[in-house]
Amino acid sequence: MSERRSFSRRAVTIGGGIALALGLGALGLSVPSLLRKRYRASAYDDLLDDLVDRDAAIKVGAAFRAQTAAKPEPQALGKALRHRLERRTLADVTGSDLAQSRMLEVKGWVMPETLVLLSVLASEES
Amino acid sequence: MNAFVDARAVPAGTILEPDLAIVGGGPVGITLALALAHTPLRIMLFESGGMDFDPATQALYAGTNAGVRYLPLDASRMRYLGGSTNHWGGWCRPLDPIDFEKRDWVAHSGWPFGIETLKPYFARAQSLIEAGLWKYDGATPQMAALAPLLKLGDGGVYTSWFQFSKTRGDVLPTHFGTRYADDLKRIPNLRLYLHANATALKLSPNAAGIAAIEIATLNKKAITVRPRMAVLAMGAVENARLMLASNDVEAAGVGNRNDLVGRYFADHPIPRDTATLVSFAGDIPGYYFNPAVFGATLIRATFAPTDEFKRTHRVLGSLTTVESPVELGELDKAAVVTAALAVGADASNAKAFSLGCGLELEPDPERRLTLTDQRDALGLPRLKLTNRVSDSDFQRYRDTIKELGRQLLTAGSGMIRLNNATRAAWEGALDWGDHHLGTTRMHVDPKQGVVDADLRVHGMSNLFVAGSGAFPTYSASNPTLNLLALTLRLADHLRTALR
Repeated sequence: MSERRSFSRRAVTIGGGIALALGLGALGLSVPSLLRKRYRASAYDDLLDDLVDRDAAIKVGAAFRAQTAAKPEPQALGKALRHRLERRTLADVTGSDLAQSRMLEVKGWVMPETLVLLSVLASEES
Repeated sequence: MNAFVDARAVPAGTILEPDLAIVGGGPVGITLALALAHTPLRIMLFESGGMDFDPATQALYAGTNAGVRYLPLDASRMRYLGGSTNHWGGWCRPLDPIDFEKRDWVAHSGWPFGIETLKPYFARAQSLIEAGLWKYDGATPQMAALAPLLKLGDGGVYTSWFQFSKTRGDVLPTHFGTRYADDLKRIPNLRLYLHANATALKLSPNAAGIAAIEIATLNKKAITVRPRMAVLAMGAVENARLMLASNDVEAAGVGNRNDLVGRYFADHPIPRDTATLVSFAGDIPGYYFNPAVFGATLIRATFAPTDEFKRTHRVLGSLTTVESPVELGELDKAAVVTAALAVGADASNAKAFSLGCGLELEPDPERRLTLTDQRDALGLPRLKLTNRVSDSDFQRYRDTIKELGRQLLTAGSGMIRLNNATRAAWEGALDWGDHHLGTTRMHVDPKQGVVDADLRVHGMSNLFVAGSGAFPTYSASNPTLNLLALTLRLADHLRTALR
């Protein structure tokens, strides 16, 4: 009985995961990293933890680095981002970027500046 | 009923003396004739073609192209009764108020009057085009009630609306030649000549007016027309050609003392797949893709910069439409996930769509028509079009679409990818609207315009040039509705001038 309940919970968990993955699959979007991956420790985990899907952000950051001649130095970038995100959520800062038209292009995608820079940091630290 | 006259059957050497000669039987010529029906004026309209497409007549349009890729000159217009309405798409949208202004960031901008001057004529123009009730941007609440608009945050781009010349049986949209043929035949003071090609404007001895218009047919008949007044209504390309080629008295051609005829040619560039729009929620209403039936009106959404945004960001007009669903690559999906999560949106059902657009170009005197040494079957010099688009024209549009992307993210409804990063990419995606504009531009100063605010050629007492060739700036709106309003205003002027 107990075994069956345990099996049943596992089935539900797996089923839920599949359903979520299928839901995200409308565009073939990746499954959020929290379901499947841990990252090596970074001095910027306090910042990078704001990224709900760090795998996706790493791709964005790598693409931005590839298109940009000037390579940001992680320490300086981390310091600048800490300053921006001090006592503010990423959503707040993103909202400010949007309100003030602080946007960057990543292979044509128009994205809030802080989000792109955070993605660059994630890419540097991956 | 006055049957149309086949000019090929008129005795050679015939001299005609109408009060008003209209040269060209496209939407402008037809509208002018309809507007002046049942007046005491004796009107004659001369159309080069017949009632249907004829390859030999169409070949009179052939010319050469240089510069940025453009359609052959005999492919971007139609030479028979109804003119280019025989192949138009029926897209309609009025000019915006800012289109008439002198804008310090747009060289050579400024109309001689504001939109208020044209407004009284829009209703009649809309009726002639058969585009249904006048809705346009007033349609937003009703369309939103049908299906919610894609949400945009506050900013410089808004959802605007095209209307369309409506379906009538199998005719989509209104082809002026077939639609109004019977109406034209019922006008007692009009004689309409088919297969009648204007080959020369003959100036009076003092060059202050035209004394005659020479008409020729492809079977070698010649007719002389001696009108009190004449209106050229052959389209922006052919009007300029006839004026430049009529150079026996003044070497530069008729109305060309300041070397402006044929300059400032413009069209609306229509780059394909210029951007990708992702809707986080997935599907968007059908009125973004196709004209939706709304009462007796066909209507379709478009993204347009506000006049305020144009002013503050020094951009030009543009009208962006959603075209078709597209697939995204891995990086694209990563960008969508990252951005959606950051703005608190659920992108699990997101869908992506290709965007197209029509752009306004900045007036450029070097984008122009000139005569060549080649001649057509009637002996008229053929044209060369030198086409140019500046980098800033593309950049200004990029700025507008970037703003749209910012507003979508602000609303948490979607995002944008700009697809053309280089000049080569823009040119590779380039198509054109076949909207010929600007070659006989309107300005109060003869040194800056070919025609005055009444469309009268500067320095000429009795010659007018109608159509979108008179537009000093071009907007991004499709020209037909607007050029018909301008034509109806001309009709009012002629009614008084010929009294």
